[in-house]
Amino acid sequence: MVAGEIDILLVEDSPPDVHLTLHALREGNLANRAYVARDGEEALEYLFGRGAYSDRGPECQVKLILLDLKLPKLDGLEVLRAIKNDPHTKVIPVVILTSSREEKDLINSYDLGANSYVQKPVDFDQFREIVKQLCLYWLRVNQPPAVTAFSAKQRRSAP
Amino acid sequence: MSERKQVRAATSQLASIVESADDAIIGMTLDGIILSWNQSAERIFGYSAEEVKGRPISILIPPERSDEVPRILERVKRGERVEHYETVRRRKDGTLIEVSMTISPTRAETGKITGASTITSDNTERKLVLQLLFHRTIELEAANKELEAFTYSVSHDLRAPLRHINGFSKILLEDFGPQMDPAAKEYLQGIHETTQYMGRLVDDLLHLARVSRQELILQTTGLDALVEEAIARLRTEAQDRQIDWQVGPLPFVECDPGLIKQVFANLLSNALKFTRQRERAVIEVGQMTVDGQPVIFVRDNGIGFDMRYADKMFGVFQRLHRPQDFEGTGVGLAIVERIIHKHAGRVWAEAEVEKGATFYFTLGQPVQARMETMPMLGGKAW
Repeated sequence: MVAGEIDILLVEDSPPDVHLTLHALREGNLANRAYVARDGEEALEYLFGRGAYSDRGPECQVKLILLDLKLPKLDGLEVLRAIKNDPHTKVIPVVILTSSREEKDLINSYDLGANSYVQKPVDFDQFREIVKQLCLYWLRVNQPPAVTAFSAKQRRSAP
Repeated sequence: MSERKQVRAATSQLASIVESADDAIIGMTLDGIILSWNQSAERIFGYSAEEVKGRPISILIPPERSDEVPRILERVKRGERVEHYETVRRRKDGTLIEVSMTISPTRAETGKITGASTITSDNTERKLVLQLLFHRTIELEAANKELEAFTYSVSHDLRAPLRHINGFSKILLEDFGPQMDPAAKEYLQGIHETTQYMGRLVDDLLHLARVSRQELILQTTGLDALVEEAIARLRTEAQDRQIDWQVGPLPFVECDPGLIKQVFANLLSNALKFTRQRERAVIEVGQMTVDGQPVIFVRDNGIGFDMRYADKMFGVFQRLHRPQDFEGTGVGLAIVERIIHKHAGRVWAEAEVEKGATFYFTLGQPVQARMETMPMLGGKAW
């Protein structure tokens, strides 16, 4: 798979959830534009072109991250913090897609700069509709700045 | 009766009142020498009147409090009265007791202060009971919190596998339904619908657990506004029906507005649901006074229920109607009750089959505020 074709990074460890989310994406013909990272560490390696992904350049960045909170190794909030703290990745919209609706998870997510927070509904029809709407909104309706916007700004303002 | 006889009768009546009083009543000079000692003093301190008359009051004082007597007597000499002074005294057998005392000057006919009288009640038992109550309350609260946390995590962890069963059964139905035997398809449909229902149960249970764990944020709140907001949300649901909403003047109360809005939302949505068969539904919200306490009520002219089940109704997952007649998981009223109890209030219902139902609730002084005003458990300085 060529890295440049990937629009969506799905960070999810549970195999059934990966399966169901990809199934939902398939209906919008988006499944082949999604890449699955199975834990927080893999997600960051993918985004920052490190480790197994060192051949990925920073230019071919994803347009949307669907992030689960309960992840092995690095949990979702730590991944979110790393994404929002780096000028190369901070503009990428991050949608928290999780089972939890715990107040402190909501607050922490928004505090760290999450763009949206969605609790996965039990009903698959609803879940599919939500995934469809999310991708439509963040990939087609939303206007992001250039990926380099913040890294360039940082370079300019550096002493 | 001669004047002297009258005086004597009055004096002996006063003396018998003093003797039979439940509290220890002790008379003393301004130097603290005991002059009189009633039966309760004997019971509380363990000394007989003969033993203590003429001796200093300091025999009752634990050494570390020896400065209390001169300080109190100084105030008495100035004509002051010391009320509900909580301290510790020592019985004849050496045991220490918690007491509450009121000390006042005694005067001669001329008005000159000649001594002090102290009325002492033994608080030892009351303090023990209070302490026990306090510890039990803390233990109970901890147990409750644990239970709520457990409910929350169980419901939460059940949710993911349920989502998966729901999703895979749906995919099976959609992608392989056409090739399936009709009976097999029906069973699969059954599995799918059951997970949907269980999903609602789990979500409602989570909602209940969340409400239980939520800290009350008290604000002076106009209930009118909360009811209006709750009704506004139900209007779309009710748009094809003829509904007469009658909202009377409602008071301003100290409550958590978000939670009390939830109470109205649940009660009004029930009223809406159970008046569905009425051509014209009348849903009334108002205030009344019962035993001098304000009571809020929500009344409907719906199908009502049998009063024999009135207590059951507030339990989790308790339903009085068949699911095919009225949808629901049976958590709504449990949430109502939980919120009202958090406000130290009471909730109850009255109804008659086919004649409608009325739900009443009061909002008391919230638990937190009560804990703060609980009598001090240690000795109080004056």
